[in-house]
Amino acid sequence: MKAIALPALALLMLLVACGSEKKLEVVTLPVASDPTISLRLWFKVGSQNDPSGKEGLAALTAQMIADASTKKNSYEQILEKLYPMAAGYSAQVDKEMTIIMGRVHKDNLEAYYKLFVQAVLEPAFREDDFARLKSQQLNYLERTLRYQDDEELGKEALSQFIFAGTPYAHPVAGLIESVKSITLDDVRAFYRKYYTKDNVVVGIGGSFDKQFVDRLCRDLARLPSGVPEQPAPPEPAPIEGLQVLLIEKDTESTAISFGFPLDIVRGASDFHALWLVNSWLGEHRNSSSHLYQVIREARGMNYGDYSYIEAFPRGSRLQFPPSNVARRKQLFQVWIRPVRNEARHFALRAAVRELQKLVDNGLSQEAFELTAQFLKKYYLHFAPTTMERLGYALDDVFYGLDENFLNEFPKHIDELTLPEVNAAARRHLQYQNMKIVMVTKDAEALKKALVANAPSPMKYATPKPKAVLEEDKEIAVYRLPVRPENIQVVKVEEMFVR
Amino acid sequence: MKGPAMCMALCSLLAFVAQGTAHSGIFPYPYRAEVLDNGLTVIVIPMESPGLVSYYTVVRTGSRDEWEPGHTGFAHFFEHMMFRGTKKYPGSVYDRLMTEMGADANAYTTDDYTCYHIGLAKSDLEKVMELESDRFQNLFYDELAFKTEAGAVHGEYLKSLASPWMVLEEKLLATAFTAHTYRHTTIGFREDIEAMPTMYEYSKSFFQRYYRPENIVLMIVGDVEPDATISLVKKYYGQWQKGYVPPQIAPEPEQMGERVAHVTYKGKTLPILTVAYKGLAFSPTDVDVAACYLLGDLAFGQTSDIYKKLVIQQQRVEFISADFSANRDPKLFVIYTMVKDENDVENVRDEIFAAIAAFQEKAVTQEKLDTQRKNTMYSFLMNLDTPDKVAGNLARFAAMTGGIDCVDQLFATFERVTPADIQRVARKYLVSDKRTVVTVTGGE
Repeated sequence: MKAIALPALALLMLLVACGSEKKLEVVTLPVASDPTISLRLWFKVGSQNDPSGKEGLAALTAQMIADASTKKNSYEQILEKLYPMAAGYSAQVDKEMTIIMGRVHKDNLEAYYKLFVQAVLEPAFREDDFARLKSQQLNYLERTLRYQDDEELGKEALSQFIFAGTPYAHPVAGLIESVKSITLDDVRAFYRKYYTKDNVVVGIGGSFDKQFVDRLCRDLARLPSGVPEQPAPPEPAPIEGLQVLLIEKDTESTAISFGFPLDIVRGASDFHALWLVNSWLGEHRNSSSHLYQVIREARGMNYGDYSYIEAFPRGSRLQFPPSNVARRKQLFQVWIRPVRNEARHFALRAAVRELQKLVDNGLSQEAFELTAQFLKKYYLHFAPTTMERLGYALDDVFYGLDENFLNEFPKHIDELTLPEVNAAARRHLQYQNMKIVMVTKDAEALKKALVANAPSPMKYATPKPKAVLEEDKEIAVYRLPVRPENIQVVKVEEMFVR
Repeated sequence: MKGPAMCMALCSLLAFVAQGTAHSGIFPYPYRAEVLDNGLTVIVIPMESPGLVSYYTVVRTGSRDEWEPGHTGFAHFFEHMMFRGTKKYPGSVYDRLMTEMGADANAYTTDDYTCYHIGLAKSDLEKVMELESDRFQNLFYDELAFKTEAGAVHGEYLKSLASPWMVLEEKLLATAFTAHTYRHTTIGFREDIEAMPTMYEYSKSFFQRYYRPENIVLMIVGDVEPDATISLVKKYYGQWQKGYVPPQIAPEPEQMGERVAHVTYKGKTLPILTVAYKGLAFSPTDVDVAACYLLGDLAFGQTSDIYKKLVIQQQRVEFISADFSANRDPKLFVIYTMVKDENDVENVRDEIFAAIAAFQEKAVTQEKLDTQRKNTMYSFLMNLDTPDKVAGNLARFAAMTGGIDCVDQLFATFERVTPADIQRVARKYLVSDKRTVVTVTGGE
């Protein structure tokens, strides 16, 4: 089948002189028909740069830029000025990247631009803003993340579990005591160190002109110089066997996440092959996902079942992969949306068993062809807006790609062969050495069942076809070898503390 | 309102749309709307989006239409069943064809409508139309599949139980309404969800009554040509028979006094406070409706006095916001906030009352009103940059009125709103007798 190409994108990588010996890195994405201008400033800093004991500092610093007063205007005044434009700017922080981004209609560019640049160049770092934003960050960690969304809790806990001992371990929002200990001076020092003209890549998209690019670069050149040191890519400890973290919580259903670190990232030779394999196994929020077909469609056990080869924060809110959460180390993970507590052991078995079948047997020719056909059109939905395409373009810079990831995506999928794809699955995926997180009630009972490898027959409230019931018998006794010393039980109140 | 900024915005947006019928409202894209003989409304909106099309089927049935006792949550459940296929294209075949096309197919259900949406490549439009027209006319599933899907819906209910907002929504609606179907949330009462596997026969009657052409608006947006697209719609949907049976929704009796309720959430949360007033049925030409939309943001938006005081200066609440949008029948105008100190909840409630009183006592300035109108306009225009967002933002309007002409009408009505109108609607609707106050506290 012929691949469909994205509209031609005049994507340019520029080095723009900014009035000094240094040049700013600039990515431009001109789209004359777009009546808006999109800005994404990528500062090469993220939660991996949080000092020990100050976890959450990168996130709080970014908020103090994007959601607080500047030296020219109080936060109230900024809101007043932005209001008639229905425009704003915001910050997105991940492990390695911080993005200050905004979008405005070109009619309002002049007034908007001043506010945007002042936010980056002249943050006021006022005590009142600091108190407000710190309180929000703490509330997120203490209440929202622990209690109000078991799925996000499980995924965050898995990331922490897999990357334990590395700068990727803690949540971007930080740890509770650490956030409490952050002072305004910490924010000022962090800003001085990382928000430099040598540490930024500028992204501009939409209907701007060259003068605008020059002006933005001239203004950003007023940032101080400095190339901050960066931590080495994280090296999580190898996982031996199945290691389980059970988070005890009073809940009617169990959220399950499991996975392991992954060495390959965009640009690696197996990357597209693995993307295809993963799409077949667990395309995010798509009924084409094999796990979805097995667990939800045939058995009605939950709302959805997906897998990932790249970090996918905010998965319950997003339909397509987010941009600018690029990382030098990725993880493979499976996300089983909550199942009834009594079905938790069975659901875990069913998912791991499917992973095993994939690794051991590979995809069939038919599954391979269907998934390739799917992806060659599905990718069209990944980034329909200028702002989103600009995000992908910055990720291309992060990964050092010499091609446009999105534009070239269908070509790479077209070039794949079944043996290549199955070899990639065998090389990079496995099912024996994984970390597993389950948010559940009565964790001790589950611990006993897991250690005993006790059968977990599935009982349905409604009749099921014979073929499903026959397969269930195999799933119910599928061997998941877990040693007692490899199971930890923690209370939800103990999460996200140092 | 039609200051230079607005004209420029319109001109800029109009500058890149495809050639089409001249069109003079705020909505920036020319469109073709046609009602087929069987009552199906088709709206085709061409816009620049090379190769991409959004295909929205808006069924004007939501949880509002669940009027029979014991059937709450059914519109949502039925949305799931629509993916189970037909005799010609059983669910697995439908899934496979959608997968082959790389389509982004999904659906959601609200109080007033159910929306099925597909993002697709232009070259697949006819195939998608064949599949969609087939399942809307010939849906077929057996009892086993029906019962299995009930399990997935139960799982969806369980996953959302963890949220205090769900707890709040249930309590607020059940307190504010006594007769109207807005009493229940879209996902429904728990006992009804648990009984769903027994309702196979009912589900067929639900389909027969509500999934009929005269109850549906089809929107096709993006890289499409109107005449050819409408011809295709006639080919695939033209045989569909009328047969819509309206629901028998009990009107809500007039509320004669304030209602107060409290609910405890078993996890931890800062106290949540909501103050709600009986709202209005949507009408794009009703000045009261337009004035209420504007009043919600004027009184509680990010530049309101109460936001500055409680969020920014005194930092007593995490946030405050209001939703004064209208529904198909009168529903609620709601103010939401999250209070940092449980002992401050009553004081914050009184601050909300005082903020409303201020709008009742004194007319807002013309300048503030104009600023609010600009914000409302740009918020709308800035979110029309992809076919999916255009169709997505129009879906509720299509559901409430059966078409999208109401968008231009509503924005024209915004222009007619005066400061005196804002004061008048604040006095008329935001009164204590029509108020419901609900608080949620957690196990702190």
